[in-house]
Amino acid sequence: MTHTASHSGPVERELGGCPVMHRDFAPAQAAGCHWELADELRETSPVFFNTFAQGYWVFTRHDAVRDIYKTPELFSSESITPWQPDPIYRFVPTQIDAPDHIKYRRIVNPWFSPRAIDEAEARMRSLCRRLVEDVAPTGGCNFVAEFGLRFPTEAFLSVAGIDPSDADLFVPWVEDFFGGFSGDPDGLEPMAKALDGIREYWVAALDERRGEPAPRDGDLASHLLHSTFDDRPLADAELLDMLTVLVLAGLDTTRATLGYMFRHLATHPEHRRRLIDEPELIPSAVEEALRFYTIIFGDGRKVTRDTEFHGVQLKQGDMVYALVSGANRDPRAYEQAGEFVLDRKRNHHMGFANGPHRCLGAHLARRELQLAVEEWLRVIPDFHIAADEELAERGGGAMMTLVNLPLAWEVGS
Amino acid sequence: MRLSVDGASCMGHGRCYLMAPDLLTYDDEGYVTIRDRTIDVPDDHVEAAKDAEGTCPEQAITLIAE
Repeated sequence: MTHTASHSGPVERELGGCPVMHRDFAPAQAAGCHWELADELRETSPVFFNTFAQGYWVFTRHDAVRDIYKTPELFSSESITPWQPDPIYRFVPTQIDAPDHIKYRRIVNPWFSPRAIDEAEARMRSLCRRLVEDVAPTGGCNFVAEFGLRFPTEAFLSVAGIDPSDADLFVPWVEDFFGGFSGDPDGLEPMAKALDGIREYWVAALDERRGEPAPRDGDLASHLLHSTFDDRPLADAELLDMLTVLVLAGLDTTRATLGYMFRHLATHPEHRRRLIDEPELIPSAVEEALRFYTIIFGDGRKVTRDTEFHGVQLKQGDMVYALVSGANRDPRAYEQAGEFVLDRKRNHHMGFANGPHRCLGAHLARRELQLAVEEWLRVIPDFHIAADEELAERGGGAMMTLVNLPLAWEVGS
Repeated sequence: MRLSVDGASCMGHGRCYLMAPDLLTYDDEGYVTIRDRTIDVPDDHVEAAKDAEGTCPEQAITLIAE
């Protein structure tokens, strides 16, 4: 339940009648709970003030979330975690504002453009096919821990020009990092070690490539070493930040979306059948998964100046939380908003965020999701969830992801 | 019908050229190539143009009836 009240609790500022809640969004819950909560909040009020941590505004509906994303001069990315307005870390370019942000993006955009992904598709498809064919004869797997993380990791490394077998290193690092990031106190030490591992990997990769006269063909780390920012080379700290952020932003997110998409397919045989019969619908099914199962519960931003916004008075330094998971299910913006419509048209979802910080890896992620569905259904057309107890999901502190997804299928003789 | 793209709003989501591949295409960074331009929409591409407009998450596409 959401506890709401007007002008109660420890808030010492004028909220203009805005309802107040006190809620930690981080703990793990039953799978799907975060979308139910987002729906409930959105239909209760367009805006809340959450007194958790230092206190922050929560905007729940499509139009306000869209406006937060499209007004970066008012909503800075200096902090993207609303309960942490002054983070000790700085992700580049995730937390960089104009005018520097676009300069970083232009360095990496071509690596994740549709053209680059088209060129990588054949390699990614064969990686995907091998993983599916390896798991098929076993009759079952824990999808999110095995295929769901392995495939995006190998695909990313392939696009970055790294040997995909280094996924053996990255998969446990990503598991350990997000185990701690989600708020489990026992996970903090493994998280720190994993982050060290990732950074040391890139330090070694950069050292190996440094001083070469020309960038290696198809090699992202080498390309970054030869890139310039305002006519100067990128500093070591920037190079490391960018490469590390790509790993942390690209692998767990795709795994999470794959998990919810395959949970959906496991429990909707009619949708599996339709995608097998009409594979041209797979791209729209992927977009619908990104809308309906948006894994980012909310996106934080920091207010740059006093302003009135969607009916409340914001002050410079306030944090806002744009509840994109709820906005993507807002019946004010979508017909049949609460249903998974396999062949939805004109699906203008914000599953990759909007505005200048639109997910850099969107084109890559979307292609990975399409390839995974195509290749999996080709080999394993029928499968079900092999769990007696309810599935659980990690909390909305960072992003939602299924803790486990045990799938099973019949193995032909 | 004509179709125009507001270049400042376009963020390179790439949804429009997937909806209307015969009408729109992408540049090296993934942005639609006709940012801040207006093009004619042939009659047999009107439905695709409407799909592109309705799919853009940034509402950067405007259709102009003639």
